[in-house]
Amino acid sequence: MVEFAYSNTEREMEVYGYDGVVKSHCRMCHGGCGVLVYTRNGKVEKIAGDPDCPINHGTLCSKGLASAQLAYHPDRLTYPVKRSGSRGSGRWKRISWDEALDTIAERLLQYRDGFGAESVVLGYGTGRENEAVIYRFANLFGTPNVLTAGHFCYGPRIATSILTCGTNPIVDYENHPRCIMVWGNNLVISNPDCYKGESFSTAMDAGAKLIAVDPRLTRIAARSDVWLPLRPGTDAALAFGMLHVIIQEGLYDRDFVENHVHGWEPFVRRVEQYPLDEVEAITWVPVKKIREAARLFATSKPAAIQWGVAIEQQINCADNDRLLMFLMGVTGNIDRPGGQVLFKPPGIRNVGHFGAHRMLPDTQREKRLGGDRFRLAGQFAIINPKCVWDAILEEEPYPVKALFFISSNPLMTRGNAAEVYRALEKIEFMAVSDFFITPTAEMADIVLPAATWLEMDYIGDFWKRHGYILPRRKVIQVGECRSDHEMLNDLAHRVGQGEHWWNHFEEALDWILEPMGMTWWDFKKKDYVRGDVLYQKYETRGFSTPTRKFEIYSTVLESMGYDPLPQYREPPESPYNTPALYREFPYILITGRRLPGFFHSENRQVPWLRELHRDPVVEIHPDAAKREGIREGEWVTIESVRGRVRQRAKFFAGMDPRIVSAEHAWWFPEKKDAGHGWDESNINMLTDNAYEACDPAMGATHVRTLLCRIHPEDRS
Amino acid sequence: MNAEATERLVLVIDHESCWGCKACEITCKQENHAPEGIKLIHVAEDGPRTEKGKPYFAYLVNTCRHCDEPECVDICPEEAIVKREDGIVVLNDMECTGCALCVEACPYQAITFDNERETPQKCNLCVHRVDRGLLPACADNVCLAHCIYFGQPDEIEKTMARKRRGALHSSSSESCFP
Repeated sequence: MVEFAYSNTEREMEVYGYDGVVKSHCRMCHGGCGVLVYTRNGKVEKIAGDPDCPINHGTLCSKGLASAQLAYHPDRLTYPVKRSGSRGSGRWKRISWDEALDTIAERLLQYRDGFGAESVVLGYGTGRENEAVIYRFANLFGTPNVLTAGHFCYGPRIATSILTCGTNPIVDYENHPRCIMVWGNNLVISNPDCYKGESFSTAMDAGAKLIAVDPRLTRIAARSDVWLPLRPGTDAALAFGMLHVIIQEGLYDRDFVENHVHGWEPFVRRVEQYPLDEVEAITWVPVKKIREAARLFATSKPAAIQWGVAIEQQINCADNDRLLMFLMGVTGNIDRPGGQVLFKPPGIRNVGHFGAHRMLPDTQREKRLGGDRFRLAGQFAIINPKCVWDAILEEEPYPVKALFFISSNPLMTRGNAAEVYRALEKIEFMAVSDFFITPTAEMADIVLPAATWLEMDYIGDFWKRHGYILPRRKVIQVGECRSDHEMLNDLAHRVGQGEHWWNHFEEALDWILEPMGMTWWDFKKKDYVRGDVLYQKYETRGFSTPTRKFEIYSTVLESMGYDPLPQYREPPESPYNTPALYREFPYILITGRRLPGFFHSENRQVPWLRELHRDPVVEIHPDAAKREGIREGEWVTIESVRGRVRQRAKFFAGMDPRIVSAEHAWWFPEKKDAGHGWDESNINMLTDNAYEACDPAMGATHVRTLLCRIHPEDRS
Repeated sequence: MNAEATERLVLVIDHESCWGCKACEITCKQENHAPEGIKLIHVAEDGPRTEKGKPYFAYLVNTCRHCDEPECVDICPEEAIVKREDGIVVLNDMECTGCALCVEACPYQAITFDNERETPQKCNLCVHRVDRGLLPACADNVCLAHCIYFGQPDEIEKTMARKRRGALHSSSSESCFP
């Protein structure tokens, strides 16, 4: 009998005649999985998961597996270009790296001299492991304005967890939680920050109970012991309901609450303002179900909450995050094995240090766009996108003259895409670094060819809070592509920041690792380095908060002039908040259902991944479809008070018939005109980005729920 | 062939564990280079619907079942499809004339006609790997749920039973469908 072994690297090499295999670290999402890259004659031939990696244990997702199709894509930008026609004309001319970077440097310096450094805005999209280097460049340049997804993705988890308990509490899947509450997350598809589906799945196999909070019947919801299909956008009310049960029935951890919580009494009074029958009316979840879930969660030890971005792209962003943390805390699951651990990173220079935030002069920090309005965001160097569009279009509070987007496609991924387009049309100078000339890049003056993860050396997961760092090793070079890190290191020298940078970026990696007594070459020989794993650190040191307690009552928010306790706010558009609008737009539209293969606006041009999803799809309940005369598979118009787009209808009975669920970030690289269909199916043509509709502390744009109508395309 | 080499080899997918991530589809593409529109392994949604008063939504993974009495083998006029001693049903497209009778005959819609090559395509269970001591691509530890098994049927059954014993998963009896 032949003995088969998983991930048999030696045999793979023999059988296929590969001449090399490199262990590296994928970054088709935010990074995370260890990979084996097989090569022949200097080309990537096959990609597999690395069985020695503690993050993915040899498994790998569709995106990671298709990385070589991205790297070698025929449409990929492999040299710098400058615009040779009018803005958005799609006409480009090849230029050298020197010309590209000299032009960018010259323009940035020109605007700094004329309008102040704050007139230059840098940006990135989701964390693509280049955030520290972008912040470093911006801070040293003197601009307080870095436009990221941080206002409504992960940034809020970091900001609120620092306020509450000092750092982001990460589910300790390794020690098998006995109950997992997955809240607005589909981690087996989406690989959210700090998590991969494999460890969750393994904890499920070990017998964890499962609670799912999701308006849609995902596979996770279908496998759950209790499914809470809440009305979209009512997460905070539901969390209050569960806390109500836990307090009423005395299911909380008395020792933790008495000794380690700040603000318990006022919080109990706040929770009393959300009686269960009212919570049921708000959330559409029956009281019985809320009780059942609260009891299961609070009485299973250890238990954990798997969360993600869905609860953050809402007006209740910061309070949603805080309420879920309070559920973790009062049930005694914070920093306990199998609960949610405040992991320690290895002893290296961290992202904050590398980002040179202290080098930004206070006089410049005070000019951060939206810093007065969204004060929590401002504290964490995060800005709300509309503040940038307004500064371009209205020149308020000052003009923004230059944008430099690095791995970001805001035309597809930020609220109110029509306004984003107007701002990109008007901006005086824009540079973009990306893999392809995306709809956003089409509006630029210069586009730089960015390297994929296969083409760079880096310290993977440097920015995460799960306690690991893993080497990403360069395997190939494609055209003239450069990593964002090398590119900014070079540009920094050209704008006079040279003394704070390095001759070659590899020296920066040495600098980051130095406190650990390691160089990049030492680190490269390892599979990973993990920080010390310690539990219940608060018993001896308290939490890293002003009161040294787990701050349910936030002294920091109070000092900023915010309500120190959480509250529930009704979504800006809803059947109850805007009943007149609801009569005209009688469905609750949810946006951003996660799809295997895509990462926001990425991968629509990667053949194996696009084959998984040919067209954008909107899910509608069969009863609603019947009422609207919609046939399965036909193109339909989805309309909000702000705009309309088209997607293909798919019947989906696993949600309330009052809900419609659309996909986000769709564009069509196969359309060869310069627009690439950016406004045809882009759900952000429908979303709102008004300041009043944003989270008051984080400035999170409420893009996840709005009111819509839907009808067959030909009827309109 | 010696007796040991004729052990039966099967692919088993534990659908209860599948999360629908489709990594198996892409790893199969990487290994077998099936053209666009042809999937030798395919993950499809099943549901949502109410089943026994409970909400049901799952994924069904379809691929060649390597049947005990394969209808595709019987119907092929060119003997281009053979069932090996180890049970794997292999379509050899060098022998195939492209009559496509097998496409119709397959009760599981697991054979697809490739218009470019003018032959049908199906999962050959990566025999080019298996015969050299490697696992089929989809079963080689790619699946995040670890729910794709390859090997001898009784060994797989034992592994799956061990995994099920680990699970104390119990379901609530009442409906939670909205």
